[in-house]
Parts: sequence; structure tokens; C-alpha cells
Amino acid sequence: MSEKTTNMRNIGISAHIDSGKTTLTERILFYSDKIHAIHEVRGKDGVGATMDSMELEKERGITIQSAATNVTWKNHPVNIIDTPGHVDFTIEVERALRVLDGAVLVLCGVGGVQSQSITVDRQLKRYQVPRLAFINKLDRTGANPYRVCDQLRNKLGLNAVMAQIPIGLEEKLEGVVDLVTMTALYFDGDSGEKIREVEIPAGLMEEALARRELLLDAVSMFDDELMEAVMEENATTEQIRRAMRRATLANELCPVFMGSAYKNKGVQPLLDAVTYYLPAPDDVENIALDLDAGEQEVVVSSDPEAPAVALAFKLEEGQYGQLTYVRIYQGSVRKGGDLFNVRSRKKFKVGRLIRMHSNHMEDISEAGAGDIVALFGVDCASGDTFCDPRLNLSMTSMYVPNPVISLAIRPKDKASSDRMGKALGRFVKEDPTFRSYVDEESQETIIQGMGELHLDVYIERMRREYKAEVETGAPQVAFRETITQQAEFDYTHKKQTGGSGQYARVAGYIEPTGTEENYEFVNKIKGGVIPTDYIPSVDKGFRAAMDTGGYIGYPVVTVRACVNDGSTHPVDSSDQAFQTAALAAFRIAYLKAKPIALEPIMKVSVEGPNEFQGNIFGSLNQRRGVILSSSEDGNFSIVEAEVPLSEMFGYSTVLRSLTQGKAEFTMEFSKYGKVPQSIAEELREKYEKARKEGK
Amino acid sequence: MVRKELIKRSPLRLLEQSIHGGVGKGNIGIIAARKGTGKTACLVHIATDQLLQDKQVIHVSFSSRTDHIMAWYEDIFREIAKKRDLEDAMNVHDEIVRNRVVMNFNQHGITAEQLLKSLRAMISDGGFAADTIVVDGYDFETGDPRTLVQLREFIRELGLTVWISASTHRDSPNYDKNGVPAMLVPFLENISVLITLTPEEKHIRLRLVKDHDQYRKEDLHLELDSKTLLIREE
Repeated sequence: MSEKTTNMRNIGISAHIDSGKTTLTERILFYSDKIHAIHEVRGKDGVGATMDSMELEKERGITIQSAATNVTWKNHPVNIIDTPGHVDFTIEVERALRVLDGAVLVLCGVGGVQSQSITVDRQLKRYQVPRLAFINKLDRTGANPYRVCDQLRNKLGLNAVMAQIPIGLEEKLEGVVDLVTMTALYFDGDSGEKIREVEIPAGLMEEALARRELLLDAVSMFDDELMEAVMEENATTEQIRRAMRRATLANELCPVFMGSAYKNKGVQPLLDAVTYYLPAPDDVENIALDLDAGEQEVVVSSDPEAPAVALAFKLEEGQYGQLTYVRIYQGSVRKGGDLFNVRSRKKFKVGRLIRMHSNHMEDISEAGAGDIVALFGVDCASGDTFCDPRLNLSMTSMYVPNPVISLAIRPKDKASSDRMGKALGRFVKEDPTFRSYVDEESQETIIQGMGELHLDVYIERMRREYKAEVETGAPQVAFRETITQQAEFDYTHKKQTGGSGQYARVAGYIEPTGTEENYEFVNKIKGGVIPTDYIPSVDKGFRAAMDTGGYIGYPVVTVRACVNDGSTHPVDSSDQAFQTAALAAFRIAYLKAKPIALEPIMKVSVEGPNEFQGNIFGSLNQRRGVILSSSEDGNFSIVEAEVPLSEMFGYSTVLRSLTQGKAEFTMEFSKYGKVPQSIAEELREKYEKARKEGK
Repeated sequence: MVRKELIKRSPLRLLEQSIHGGVGKGNIGIIAARKGTGKTACLVHIATDQLLQDKQVIHVSFSSRTDHIMAWYEDIFREIAKKRDLEDAMNVHDEIVRNRVVMNFNQHGITAEQLLKSLRAMISDGGFAADTIVVDGYDFETGDPRTLVQLREFIRELGLTVWISASTHRDSPNYDKNGVPAMLVPFLENISVLITLTPEEKHIRLRLVKDHDQYRKEDLHLELDSKTLLIREE
């Protein structure tokens, strides 16, 4: 293992919106000596933070794109993958989580663990990403790191232990005490760049000793050697750090650091902690799927001489063309070398190989396993795997949820029309949860995504980046339909009047799968009553019928279709005849199988002061929501509910006015649920009407 | 087994017989035991039995994360469905979870007024027509007897039934002459039914201590299965 890989860190900074993530990131860039001035996120001086390179992000004060930036901290190359703080852009988060090895969970010292922190933490847990916590904004009135640390334990169930305590709080925040080295750290100089390491102030000693004991108790659980040393009261800094690292990597411990990025306090010790406690690329086992061996799992090796495997996790349209961010999992990628895109089956030559620093790029000739770099001018989509041409491996497919909302868009003029097409082509490549197509009947362009805000952001981007002005229709929910009982079919398709005829008979049944499986085809034909050649035709016919259900005209899900009898004609049977027969048979059986309409149900989490709890309950109740739980802690409560997506349009405005802007909410897709009878009737009438008019 | 039959054959019917048809609307029932003897399991079983009867239940908790509580309901439902071979269990489950809401509070610093205000908000603003409230994790030792008075007024007004769990001392269980745990004595006036759980060799026994106006030391002939954590007949 090269020293370089052992020292390397790929980290994400995950946070609730407004907990100061961007400011923290910028301070990290500053201290690692890459940029030379510190600007505020919201841009008092109009320069803006460096990580948020998109104009729109600057305006909203949020980070949408996950740019990867390379910094060096004390001989450790650190790639910072900036993960979006907003849950509507879940796919961006998922993709970033896929390529990082460790994370810093940033929390606001006043707000503590908020609803988005919970969502972000859940995502980190899903990918088993080891993490440190950083409690920010300790300079703010009401900041209390002890309370936030308790919340990490109680609300997120993390084994969170303070590795530091604050020296002063709120406007009196001066620095932090390091509980491992038992020293006090002050941050001097104009930008806190000079660290003064001195004795712990006498007034804090008792507190520091008590907290250190808690830390050592927690850490020595994972290390016998340390436990012994602690008992003999001669534990060394190295011993403690080693044990903390081991426990953190195993996701058994979450060391807690603190400070105020805005006031330049506590950032450098956090960077030290990243190097001490978060994993190097070779501490993490990565799995690829061997496409030549039935997608068998293989562990990739970080040996720089092994054949290359890399994952394209982000595309960016730059001034000079498409920039593709890749994480290298095995071997090395070299300028001028050959790579093979496993999905498109195309080989290409690596032109320029780039390391991205904050808003400036460095040309490099080679990068090895574990590293994150960018390629220029490669035609690919996000999520593609690039391999050495000798290999046929794919990095495990990322979890991509289906879009739940759609919107019709129209360009305002001819020029916008062309630009809109270009923008859509780009967005679809960048984001697999964003889709676009032209509706055959209405000839309208439809875009689909994961939520209202998700689509809003793309419409804004069209306007700003592509100068495409578009009008939008009302958002439409992606309904589905399914059946609730078994129904049989026996259908003969026959057209034998003159010329070559058509003949096919299929019999069998359809039934609910009872699982998450969307479609299952079962062949129970015996004695070749339907020739083997035509079995795929029957399957194809069923699939075609699943595209548009006969109940409300939406795609059909969770149906098992079984064919168990049929007959054939020596001359008139054909692939087409069996497809037509299967399609018609399915449609007839479908209406007998008691179809129902389904709609996307969102898991909604609303958080706000207790005084507005009644309003929050009421607003969810009015939206056909099922309140699952409410948690009250002090003056704040979090309400979790399941609410149909169709009822959530415009909720942010309503919530704001109900709570004087003091409550906020997040939502993510949970499941498909049955549409109430009255609404299903309406959908059915609309569908019937459209069908009749169509004829 | 179909749902109706399952309700009819629930061991909780035996409990109801012993206490004159149940705790009753506007009344409070208590399940008292040492820590770790199955109070939560009992409460969740009682709540699930109510849910199966199409009643609506608010689960108030002072000690757990809401996802832990929901996991309790999942486990108990699964055990009941398995034991009784419940027909169409998945749909029954999806239906009944709609009638349950979990409300979690931090007992330190919350007043009875705040608690009742939140409950009222859930019932009126949230449109949740609760029939039963189960309360888990309330600390009677630091609790104020007036809280129970206020709670009782509240549930009388709305016609609700309440079950509360009470943790007794692990080391020195003090009982009065009627078998009432000492810490509950100041609250007794507002407690209609009191049941204690006593661990025995292989299972946990349910004993009736107070039944409305009478003190009894009656074996309910019910026990808690230490494996499935379900209440069952002896």
C-alpha cells in the first residue's frame, strides 16, 4: 500500500441546511492554504463561497451540486465531496455517499439535531459511512454543545462522545479544550490561523477531567490495551487515538468536535481529526459486479498496478465541455490510456486528466486507486463504470428511486425551444431521477422528478444557465394501478379472412404478486400447446398491457401473469398474433381482477416550535395525512406523517404562513398507497372521457 | 383465524371479565412492575388489541425514540398474527397502523398542561378520534399526583380510557397492606385498576391488586410468555 493512499481521505460534509456547512467548507479550504480570502456564503462582498460554483446556489444560500475539491492538510490529500443539504436532491446525496469513505456531520449548536440531520444521518447509516460530528455556531446565542451531543445519542442513536469541550460559549467563545491531549486551543491572528496550544484554564479543569473520563470509558470498550492503560492511568495520546480510530471506522463511535467556522474557531482541529479518525480508501472494502460471471461480487484491489476500475459519479458542463468526476476504485487512470465504458460498450482514450481544486484545475498525468479526479470530454452518463478494456466490471448499481411527480413545460419562444432541449439532455445525463419525454397525445414536453423543489431547481437552471424561458403546467402526480385479486383469461385472437391470417389463443390468469416485484411472468405451458418460440411474444404482450392500465390509464404494477394453456395454427400463428392475443387477454382479465388506483405517499417530517403544534397537526390532517408520531423536546417538536404527494403541492407556503415562518419540513418518497374511492372515481371518469374522445 | 375470532379469543377478554368489563371510559389503569419485566409489552399488547377492534390509540412515551416504539408494535403484531394464524395479516396491519399515533415527550421540564395541550391538539386539530391512550415510561417517583388528577379530568371530558405503566424499585419493592407499591399510594385515588407483574421461574404472572372500588389480591390466571412477550392464559 502506498503511503499516498494511506494518507488520503475522501470525505463528505453532511448537514442540515443553514447549519453553516458552506462556511465550514470554505474555512477548510482556506486553512489548507488553497484560497487566500474568506468570504461569507451569502456574499456580503459579492464574491461568495468557493464551493458553491453555481449562481443559483449562491442566491438560495444552499448547495445543490456535489463538487469534489482536493486540499492537502499536513501531508494528507483530502478530497471534499460537497453533499447537498436538501432532501429533494436525494440522488445527489446518494451519489456523493457512494464515493466517499467518511463524513463530517455538521450540526448547528443552537438548532441541534433537526429533521434534515436525521435524514442525512439515515443515508450515512445506509451506506455505513463512518462519521465525526462537528457542532458549529457555538458563538450564537443559545448554543449548547452538551444538549446537541445528547441529541446525537438520543435522536440519532449514535455513540456520540465529546472529544472537546468549549472554552466559553456564545459571544464569549474563545476556543476548545482537546480531551485527548488535555490542552487548551486558542485561535489567534486575523483569521484564526495561529493556533495557541496552552494549559487548560483552571476553571475548566474539573469539567475537562470528567468529560475525558467519559471519552476514555467509551473508547476503551473497543480496545483492551487501552482499557488496561486507562486503569493504570498511563494511556498515551497515540493509544487513545488508535482506539478512537478503530471504533469510528467500525461505526461504533462518533467523536464530537466543536467550534464556530464563522468566528474561525475549531476548524483546524477538525481537519486533524479527519486525518486521525476517518478511513483511508484502503480501510474500506469496495465491491464491483463481474458482468462476465452473472454479476458475481468481486472485491476491488487498491493496487495501483491492477487493471483500472472507476465510477463516473458526477457530470458538469464547463466552459470547455463536459467534465466527468470519477472515483478510481482499482488500479490507476493515466493520461493517454484506454478505458472502456461498461454500459455503452465503448472504448475511449483518456484525454485530459484533472484534479479539481476550488475553482481552479490542475492537469495531472496519473491518479491511483482511492483518488477522485475529473476527465474532460468523455461521452457518458452519471453512474457509468469505466474499466480497463480487459475487464468487464460494474460498480454496484446505485439505488435510483422512480420519479413521483411530473410537470408539462413549454418554451416561450423559438430560441428557448432549442436551448430547452439542450438543457434537458444535459440534466437527464446528470441526474437519473430527473426524466424528460414528449407526451405522444398532447405533444407536450413532460419533466419528471422527486418533488416540487427538485423540478423548480431545474427550471431555474434552464433560465439562468441556458437562457431558456419556459412556462410550466400544474404538477401531476405519477399514479399507478394494480389488481387486488386473481382473474382468469382465455382469449383467442383470430383474423382469418383472406390473405395471410392471424391466430393465437392464450389462457391463464393474472394475480397480485404480493411482493415488491412489479411484474412477474410465469410460463406453465405443457406439451408445447404454445410453441416455445412464441412464449416471449406472450410475455411481450403482457408487458405492453402493463404500460397503460385499463382502470385509470396509468402504468400497472405488482402483477403476476401466468399462461397455462393455448393453441396455435400451423400457418396463421405468428409473434405478432401472440403479442396481440396476450395484450387483449390481459386487458379483459384486468378489469375482472378488481383494479385499484395507487398514488405516491411521502414521508413528511415537520419541525417547529410547540406553540404551532396544533396548526401543524391540522395542516397534515387536512392533507389526508396519517400522523405517525410526534416528538417534543423542550420547545421544539418534530411531527412525522405519511401524506399523499398530490396533497403536498404548495405546502411550504402554507406551513410558513401557519407558523410565522418558524416551522420547516422535509419529505421523501415512502411508498405507493391506495387512492381513496372518491378520488379514484374521478380519475376513472377522466380516463374514460379521454378514451372516448380519443376514439 | 379471522380478525373477529381473534379478538374474541384474546386472553385480554379474561382480563376484562376479572375487572367488571374493563377499565372503563374516563378511568385510568396501571401496570406496575420492576424494570425489564414486560410492562411495555403488556401495554403494546393491550393497545394492539384495541387497534384490532378498530379503536384509535395514542401511545404516549417518555423514554424511547419513536422508531423503537413502532418496532415494539411490529413485533407484537407479528407474534399475535403468527400465533393465531391471522388471515390477510398484511392488510390488517396496514389498516390498523393508521389508527395509532406515537407521541414522545421529555418528562423533564414538561408540565401536565403542556402534555394535555399536545394531546388535545392531536385529537382536535389532528382529527385523531382517540379511544384509548397508553402511557409508557412515566416516572411516578418524580411525578406529581396532581398530574393524574388533571389527566383524569381530561379523559372524563373526552370519554377516553388510559393505561399507564409504572416502574417500581428494583431493589426494595415496598408494598402497603393491600399489595400496592408504595410509590403509587399518593396516586391511588385516581387509579381505577392496578395490575402488577411478578417474575416467576418460567414466566411473568399478572396479579390484580385494585379493581375499581375494591382491593383484591387476585391471580388473574394470566401470564406473560417470556419468549413472545405476549399475554396468555395459564
